[in-house]
Amino acid sequence: MIEIESVQGNATIQDGGRAGHMHEGVPTGGALVLEHLACANVLLGNPPLSAAIEVSGRIEFRARGSALHVATSTGQFVSMHEGETFSFRSQHRADYVAIGGGIDVPSVLGGKGTFLHGEFGGYLGRGLLRGDRLPIGNVQGRSTKRLALVQTDSIRIVIGPDAARFREDAIQTLAQNDFAISRALDRVGTRLLGSPLLRTNGDGDTGTSMPMVLGAIQVTASGEAIVLGPDHPTTGGYPLIATVARVDIGRFHLKKPGDVVRFRWVELEEAVRSYHEHRAYFFD
Amino acid sequence: MIDTPIGEFARRIELPHGVDCARLLDRLRKSPNVADVVITETHACVHLVTADPKPFVWPPLPLGRGVTGGGREHRISIRYDGEDLAEIAEHTSLSKDEVIAIHQEGIYEVRWLGFLPGFAYLGDLDPRLQLGRRKTPRNRVPKGAVGVASRFTGIYPHASPGGWHLVGTTSESVFDVATGARFALGDRIRFVAS
Repeated sequence: MIEIESVQGNATIQDGGRAGHMHEGVPTGGALVLEHLACANVLLGNPPLSAAIEVSGRIEFRARGSALHVATSTGQFVSMHEGETFSFRSQHRADYVAIGGGIDVPSVLGGKGTFLHGEFGGYLGRGLLRGDRLPIGNVQGRSTKRLALVQTDSIRIVIGPDAARFREDAIQTLAQNDFAISRALDRVGTRLLGSPLLRTNGDGDTGTSMPMVLGAIQVTASGEAIVLGPDHPTTGGYPLIATVARVDIGRFHLKKPGDVVRFRWVELEEAVRSYHEHRAYFFD
Repeated sequence: MIDTPIGEFARRIELPHGVDCARLLDRLRKSPNVADVVITETHACVHLVTADPKPFVWPPLPLGRGVTGGGREHRISIRYDGEDLAEIAEHTSLSKDEVIAIHQEGIYEVRWLGFLPGFAYLGDLDPRLQLGRRKTPRNRVPKGAVGVASRFTGIYPHASPGGWHLVGTTSESVFDVATGARFALGDRIRFVAS
């Protein structure tokens, strides 16, 4: 068991997500940077998407009851004896602290991650606080590995289903201009700062609700872009100009407010191919 | 059936009129390589288990919406104590009592689920009560609030930001983590003042 001593910023329990309930309005969730969740877990021999702590800020906790091993997505590996403390500060927008055996909170709707808006999952459906005690599991050990998510110059994007609703220069703007991560971000979405992406004349906000997807870039009436995160609502009314290629959604979610984002268009087939290798490396 | 990809993991089609959405949902959830399905009034979307450049094979779309008579009936108790009743009355040129009577008369069909776990868009609201969303959305609409906007009425499954006009409150649950969403496509809902 671990006992939380302090949290500054946000810390929630996240895992690989809970698929199968979007028809009921439940987003799949999952870690913002699944690759970094995997990096931390496999250093311990945990299955890559075992539940761990997603940290944006700083956390300190104490080992209770027995010795345990801790690994982080920044490459730390520590053995803790009962009573010892460990403190960690995230370097990216989100980093992960994993415990050998996995964090053993109850599964809700097939996943152990926290859905903050619905106040369910993870630890009591909320962010971690001082005094919280998290049980540690006995997840089957595997061989340990050291993985790395290599940074790239640009985030790959694929043309969106509503691209025809935008002016041609909006499509170009997305790939030729720098955007920046705004301070308005959470697990639901990330607002971008940059040139407005304008619709064709006469395109009104029909407001018809349409299905939404992780990594989709939705654009408001004023041309502001929002990249949908793991807790995105399953339906929404804004048109989708593009989607972030799944191979790069983790890299995108590493970026902090103020960081620059450069997008690069790729074909769907290339995005699919890149993802297959990527998936095999991190998640198999 | 020609679909549009939404990234590598989702495919979307526009639905023709008359599709039996409840049966379509069932068929799609059982299709190979499908992790999730979302159906709205106008579109159906499959979320794939594995990204695949090959086209998704859509099953035949079941027709006969409204004819098959499937789905359950729900009677939801409601207190007509919504904060926006006076405002709705003003904008619709009706009295508060008329607003309440018209809302309660409706037999609403679940058009789709989305926005929040268990949130069902119930339609169609009587045209006399149809307004846009509130000019200023609320940061917090309480759990159980019953609202109206456009052609729909709906029940907030938990506290949330929201832009709908509030007509009342229900203490009945529409979502819980053990059993999921209470309402499903094809269900019919009536409100009963308590």
